[in-house]
Amino acid sequence: MNNLTQMTRLEVVVPARDAPAIRELITSAGATGYTSVSGVSGIGHHGQHSGALLFNEYDTLTMLITVLPPDNAGELIDAVGVLLSTSSGVMFVSETYVSRPEYFQ
Amino acid sequence: MNLILRAQVAAAAHDIVPHWPLESFIAVNPLASHETRPFETATTPGVVLTRSRDAYLADVERGRIVDADLEAALAERVPELAGHLTLGGKTASAVGVAVLDMKSTSWSSPAATAPSAPWLDEYLAAWVSSYLNPDPLWAMPHTQRGFYQAWRILARRDPSLPRTVRRTAAELPAEPDAALAWALVKLGVAAESVTETLRTELHYLPGWVGQIKWRAEKIGDIDLLSYLSVRLTVRAVLGLSLSPSSPTPPVADEAPPTLRHRAEHVARSIGGSRVDREEIAAVIRVLATHPVADHALTWQKAYELHYRAALVHSVRDTDPFTPRPHLQLVMCIDPRSEGIRRHLENLPEAETFGFAGFFGVPVRFSRYLARGAVNSLPALLTPRHHLTEHPTDSAKAKDHVMRGRSRDALRQSTHQADSGTGTPFAFAEVTGWLYGAISVLRTLTPTLQARIQRFLTPSTATLPSNVTITDSFTLEERAAMAETAVRMMGVTQFAPLVVLAGHGSESVNNLYQSALDCGACGGNPGGANARASAAIFNDPDVRALLVPRGIVIPSDSFFIAAEHNTVTDAVTLLDRHLIPESHVDAAGTFDRAQRTAAGLLLRERARDLPGASPRSPGRVQGRAHDWAEVYPELGLAGNAAMIIGPRQMTRGVNLDRRVFLHSYQAELDLEGAALETIMTAPLVVAQWINHQYYFSALNPASLGAGTKTIHNAIGTIGVLAGHTGDLRRGLPWQSVGLGDRLFHEPMRLTVIIQAPLDSIGRIVSRNQVLRNLLDNDWITLTARNDPAAAWHRYTPYGWTAASPPLKGT
Repeated sequence: MNNLTQMTRLEVVVPARDAPAIRELITSAGATGYTSVSGVSGIGHHGQHSGALLFNEYDTLTMLITVLPPDNAGELIDAVGVLLSTSSGVMFVSETYVSRPEYFQ
Repeated sequence: MNLILRAQVAAAAHDIVPHWPLESFIAVNPLASHETRPFETATTPGVVLTRSRDAYLADVERGRIVDADLEAALAERVPELAGHLTLGGKTASAVGVAVLDMKSTSWSSPAATAPSAPWLDEYLAAWVSSYLNPDPLWAMPHTQRGFYQAWRILARRDPSLPRTVRRTAAELPAEPDAALAWALVKLGVAAESVTETLRTELHYLPGWVGQIKWRAEKIGDIDLLSYLSVRLTVRAVLGLSLSPSSPTPPVADEAPPTLRHRAEHVARSIGGSRVDREEIAAVIRVLATHPVADHALTWQKAYELHYRAALVHSVRDTDPFTPRPHLQLVMCIDPRSEGIRRHLENLPEAETFGFAGFFGVPVRFSRYLARGAVNSLPALLTPRHHLTEHPTDSAKAKDHVMRGRSRDALRQSTHQADSGTGTPFAFAEVTGWLYGAISVLRTLTPTLQARIQRFLTPSTATLPSNVTITDSFTLEERAAMAETAVRMMGVTQFAPLVVLAGHGSESVNNLYQSALDCGACGGNPGGANARASAAIFNDPDVRALLVPRGIVIPSDSFFIAAEHNTVTDAVTLLDRHLIPESHVDAAGTFDRAQRTAAGLLLRERARDLPGASPRSPGRVQGRAHDWAEVYPELGLAGNAAMIIGPRQMTRGVNLDRRVFLHSYQAELDLEGAALETIMTAPLVVAQWINHQYYFSALNPASLGAGTKTIHNAIGTIGVLAGHTGDLRRGLPWQSVGLGDRLFHEPMRLTVIIQAPLDSIGRIVSRNQVLRNLLDNDWITLTARNDPAAAWHRYTPYGWTAASPPLKGT
């Protein structure tokens, strides 16, 4: 597809206090980078979340997005699943395509 | 790298509350991980949630808890208790029957206990302490390789381990992941039990474990994976069996009486011997709704309701401040500010406000040419802006810096001589007479010694300087911070002189100094933030940007920073060189007013401070320099409530320095944005502080730091009780008690807000942190729409009228 390379994209939404553990797993999995969006809002299993708070980053939600080769993604998906089994948060896994695969390997 | 195992470690550590180091002591709820569940289910082995039955009965004796409080508590906790019963021809309400049962039925709560210290814990504590100690006499080698690898290399020569074990250590995997995986296999832990096993191991040494979790996130020199690798590996090589699923909880030594026994006792004490079986059965049905296991929390609720009722009753509705005040004072919401504000308001033309002590300016601050910096902002925020200061007289400042560096070099060399292997004896011979004389002076006349020291060691902090606020924030950011502060406090007019007073504590030889400083400034004094905020408000460009936003600061209004010393109660104006000639008189008026207020407050505080007398306020102030004083001040002891609303609600009311006061005007915040900020930040910080005091008071051995008198510091990381063992958490006993008596009344935070109920409800609905705290009864919320409206109590099912139960005093 237009010289694009297939990759696996993980989006994880967790309380900000749990984000360091997810970041640590992402880097340990060999991902070359991630995007972190703090103060995300929405409605989920635990009710409504208002989004960014002016003086409180601790009690908001953070979304972490990473992209990595499909062969490397399996273990990270399992590991995040283990972490989410004991805490709140959601993980979305999808196929994605990138134009410069060397950035993600 | 074993990713699944790392995830299992992270999952096992999820409920561990990070433990901040002493240098930036942050009050936290030690049971914060339980806040997603009802308060009463937050039981942890060795930890109690309430006081003893005897303590509550003593409160009944002295009128601290009355029947109306118990009835109100039962109405809240057991709403199905309603109607009346006839017992032996007499009529009694169901609630009255339950109250009688509470008073007559004995129960024994498990006592708070100190954690045990088996050999493995002692062993691990010694290794972690050696690894992390920033200023050891002998530095631990190989620390650059990480905790596990350093231990693995050194364990081969550790004489406390058997020879066979030392040999095994040499063959252990080099990486912590692999070592932990090997140990789990060796210990026979099934794959599905790994997380639970690791969680159980993390229950031990909770102080060090909490500190490691904090360091892993903030510093990165150690993590729980390497800690668990060492712990489990030692278990495996020594053949130590795994711990039980959790440390054994102490068992109550007395079985509660049966339901029938309770019912018969209550029925007969009301109806005498004429009660029949049906009537006893009716009492059984009533008492079944309130089992003995629930009594302790109902007693606690009654204890809190008594205070809440009195507090709500004391709220006034004085007229707003209509003439332009001559002086405005903005202080931190810290309960200690309430005292100085109350006394300063004796000046009729003075108006005061409460605001978070970092004044909405979150910075990482360093003094002029200082080596380090402090995060002067709430722990809820990440520092992104660096602030420093530039002296107005750079030549003099450089001279001070050079002299300061010479002093540091001298101190360093004396420290080396003092702590070297062979030098201490010679050092003592040569300098002992000097240090001896200084020690005598310091002991007998601490204030004089402090004056001499100040004279001999001038600091750059005393030199006139300006904070670099324009380098730290853009103009738009500064204008936004000013607007936020004005809207959050609800300021509608500005006095000619507006004093922004941060606060800090002053004491010596006090490892818990940071716990007495400003919580909103990350356990640091708030002077720097006050200076930054004053500079922002005085900036003509900022004022110009505020005008189109509806905030007009008159050109004759001048903002000046100050710092409240919570030991001496002096409120000292900072940056005096900035005061324009036109405001010198106003500053002088403030100086005189604050001196009078400080004198009154010192006498008031002396009544509560152990060993102090209202007749000698000078001695109370002298505690700032007394190195033998374990009670320099009482900090936030007694904190019990937070009021969010205009000062008219409380002006003239003596709140005994127990209430966090945040100014707020709902009429000026139609969308509720300011209220949401207050409820999700200052309120949360107040709750952390409140629960820190609550649990340190009830569990001094496990969640408190115990007595200061046996503390030994591990650098600036924390303290040990004695020379080894776990890092102590929480507040020392001297923050909450004296002798074997508590002077802090452990009560969960009562929050009182004057704002539209639907606005409050919407804010709670969309913030999980507030839902957790309120729906699970970690704090309570009472509110009214406006001064004319009735009080309502928040419940998970909506607002309910609060008036009837609150009339119980």
